[in-house]
Amino acid sequence: MLDQAARDALVAAVGADNVISDPVGLRSYECDGLTGFRQVPALVVLPRDTESVAAAVRVCHRHSVPFVARGAGTGLSGGAMPVADGVVISLQRLRRVLDVDPVDRRAVLQPGVTNLDITKAAAPHGLYYAPDPSSQQVCTIGGNVAENSGGAHCLKYGFTTNHVLAMTVVLPDGEVVTLGGDSGEQLGPDLRGVFLGSEGTLGIACEITVRLLRVPETVRTLLADFPSVPAAGEVVSDIVAAGIVPAAVEMMDNLAIQAAEKAVGAGYTLDTPAALVVELDGPEAECGEQFEQVKAICERHGCTRLHVAGDAGERARIWKGRKAAFAAVGRISPDYIVQDGVVPRTRLAEVLDRIARMGDAAGLRVANVFHAGDGNLHPLVLFDADAGELERAEELSKDIAELCVELGGSLSGEHGIGTDKACSMPRMFGVDDLAVMDRVRSAFDPDRLCNPGKLLPTPRLCGERPGVYRPHPLEEAGVIERL
Amino acid sequence: MTTTSPVVLSPTDLRSAHEALADTSGPVRISGAGTAADWAGAPGTAPTVLDTTRLTGVLAYNPADLTVEVRAGTPLVRLQEELAGHGQRLAFDAARAGRGATLGGLFATADSGPLALGYGSLRDLVIGATVVLADGTVARTGGHVIKNVAGYDLSKLLHGSYGAFALVTDLVLRLHPVPAAERTVRLECPLDTAAGRAATVLASALEPVALEWSDGELLARLEGTPDGTRARARQLAELIGGAVLTEDDAATAWARHADLVARPAPRDAVVRIGCRPSRLPRFLRGEGATGGLGTGVGTVRVPPAEVADVHDAVAAEGGTSVLRQRPAGPLRAWGRAPSAVRVLTALKRELDPEARLGRGRFETWFGGADSGG
Repeated sequence: MLDQAARDALVAAVGADNVISDPVGLRSYECDGLTGFRQVPALVVLPRDTESVAAAVRVCHRHSVPFVARGAGTGLSGGAMPVADGVVISLQRLRRVLDVDPVDRRAVLQPGVTNLDITKAAAPHGLYYAPDPSSQQVCTIGGNVAENSGGAHCLKYGFTTNHVLAMTVVLPDGEVVTLGGDSGEQLGPDLRGVFLGSEGTLGIACEITVRLLRVPETVRTLLADFPSVPAAGEVVSDIVAAGIVPAAVEMMDNLAIQAAEKAVGAGYTLDTPAALVVELDGPEAECGEQFEQVKAICERHGCTRLHVAGDAGERARIWKGRKAAFAAVGRISPDYIVQDGVVPRTRLAEVLDRIARMGDAAGLRVANVFHAGDGNLHPLVLFDADAGELERAEELSKDIAELCVELGGSLSGEHGIGTDKACSMPRMFGVDDLAVMDRVRSAFDPDRLCNPGKLLPTPRLCGERPGVYRPHPLEEAGVIERL
Repeated sequence: MTTTSPVVLSPTDLRSAHEALADTSGPVRISGAGTAADWAGAPGTAPTVLDTTRLTGVLAYNPADLTVEVRAGTPLVRLQEELAGHGQRLAFDAARAGRGATLGGLFATADSGPLALGYGSLRDLVIGATVVLADGTVARTGGHVIKNVAGYDLSKLLHGSYGAFALVTDLVLRLHPVPAAERTVRLECPLDTAAGRAATVLASALEPVALEWSDGELLARLEGTPDGTRARARQLAELIGGAVLTEDDAATAWARHADLVARPAPRDAVVRIGCRPSRLPRFLRGEGATGGLGTGVGTVRVPPAEVADVHDAVAAEGGTSVLRQRPAGPLRAWGRAPSAVRVLTALKRELDPEARLGRGRFETWFGGADSGG
């Protein structure tokens, strides 16, 4: 129970107008984008400035109340799920763009600014913010920092961590510090980089300085159909082998294409087994030259249809189909789970084959949409909860993520570990690896009040039995060793 | 007090690196090629030296995935030679690589070169690491895939740690293709002119991967296709009033730049500065100064007596500074302590409670537990 003294102190810290305590209001904070995990918080505070965030955190620290920071709540791993009897610190009222500096090409943002609004603020100067998660219209930069978000274009431009220069952070005891600096030079170890992607467990970022890039001179986009998923995969390999770094390479299989086409009618071919979206950007002459190379590679691998976006409108339509794919799957299945895993790109064909077989064995369909350039898969496990398929679907989804680790990849490429995958962490990391992460957490948050129960496995979450460590495939191959 | 020579341990693999720390006690100084022995705070004396120069070799290289895992004592130039055979490279060109610097040393000192404008530094290019803590604990972080958000990215904690948190034994690196062509445009001019022209270049669509002031000249490098770089180099030269260099002249100009950074006269103190790019030119005074006009990272030479003034002036502009050559006597190594020094101290206690590693490198940041000497 959140006691009255702590409640009163929190109200005093942020002001009575910035507190939600009624049951209906609290319920709307019970989960993030991963709706299967729910917990109604004891209180929600919505501070309006950094000092109020710090004041609220200090109260939590003094009264030993667990707290969870929350942006737009679009996360897909339960990272912003509240803690029982804890407080949610919503950053939705910290949504000002504090500065846009066209000379040094950077912007300073409050955490509640949406990803797309950064680019909107930068656009008058011919600049933009590169990371572009699919939810960019609503997701916030604070959440992007917590999850180290990527997006379709991170193959060429990198992730949030490659674009954040500095942050003003409220530490778990309420102290306000700066991590990072005005350039890439560091004063000692890169605490900025440790904080990025820490899923809200090391503190709350309240002012974020990001790099802005100049809008590329040219963007070229094509949509190509292929007779098989492996054929499309070979195209990706050949593009990379040719020394081309595309801005984005996305692949969809037939099931995903059908769903997307039904939803938005973006002009995808309904019966093609696989389609690729390839986008190049950069200086005009080079972009054009490499685009011709990409087209030739597509033709060489039996491309059955190749459509080049003639203008920005057509490009937007191609991307609309791709970006609508997740939600569109709802049209071909009553329920579905979005999975997120990574394999070395060269193992894409293998992992897709294994996933298909696992789906058959489980009697469930799996649609595949993925960032093919960097091996980041988003298998969509389709099921019918009314038919009692939920448990089987969850099991299959978990097995797919763990398969990625078995193939030398990662449990998550962009959605994070959160509540969802904490218990799978021992599949990817050994006992000592996780213990060292826990020591890092202790240095920031010795009292475990800041988003507890996320990211690292706990006996409470995963059962008393610690996860069984299985050797990494590179260890089995004798390539790496563990002592 | 008598000084005895330290015991030197030279591990060759993870197991012997683990043993070197697990089976010893007391302070340990980690030493690579020795190209940055003089950087940051002066290392304290230690009865044990952990020499990483035999910890070499590629552990896993998959060209098709553009990743490589390499032992941390491997010199960067050796790795680049191996990668070049596959048309690939680590897009990283710290000046002291030419002096044999190891990947682990370059990583631990958070070094970077002109290409940081286009590709970032090792903090952007390292995607996984294996480390040994002071108590011998072996831990891995990250992995072999570029996109990976599972768990804390502990490699960041080691980037710029000067060996004070752990020994890095292996690094997994993200690679890039060697560009089909590269061209450099040069303008000989005063610094103020260079600063103005650099701003023009950065506002253009020409996408230089490096843009440096180098002791009397502005250098801009372009990478891409042969035709594309030819066209862009011509445009760039026109835009700033400079000239496109021949391949040989470009190589000479960049080699000179690297020498200015990595081979200063022994009498000078050298300070590395990082700040907002637009503010960097005001600190690039004096002979031999170099600086990235897009990155805001520069290197200056000053008489030892002026080091403190440089630190203070940079700090006053919100920048960072660190000593990179200490000619004689005690000189302040860091411009200022970071704002989160309390967190660093807590991390030090968690990861190296007996303060065995990296003594002296961060001067007084970690309090009494980590004084030099």
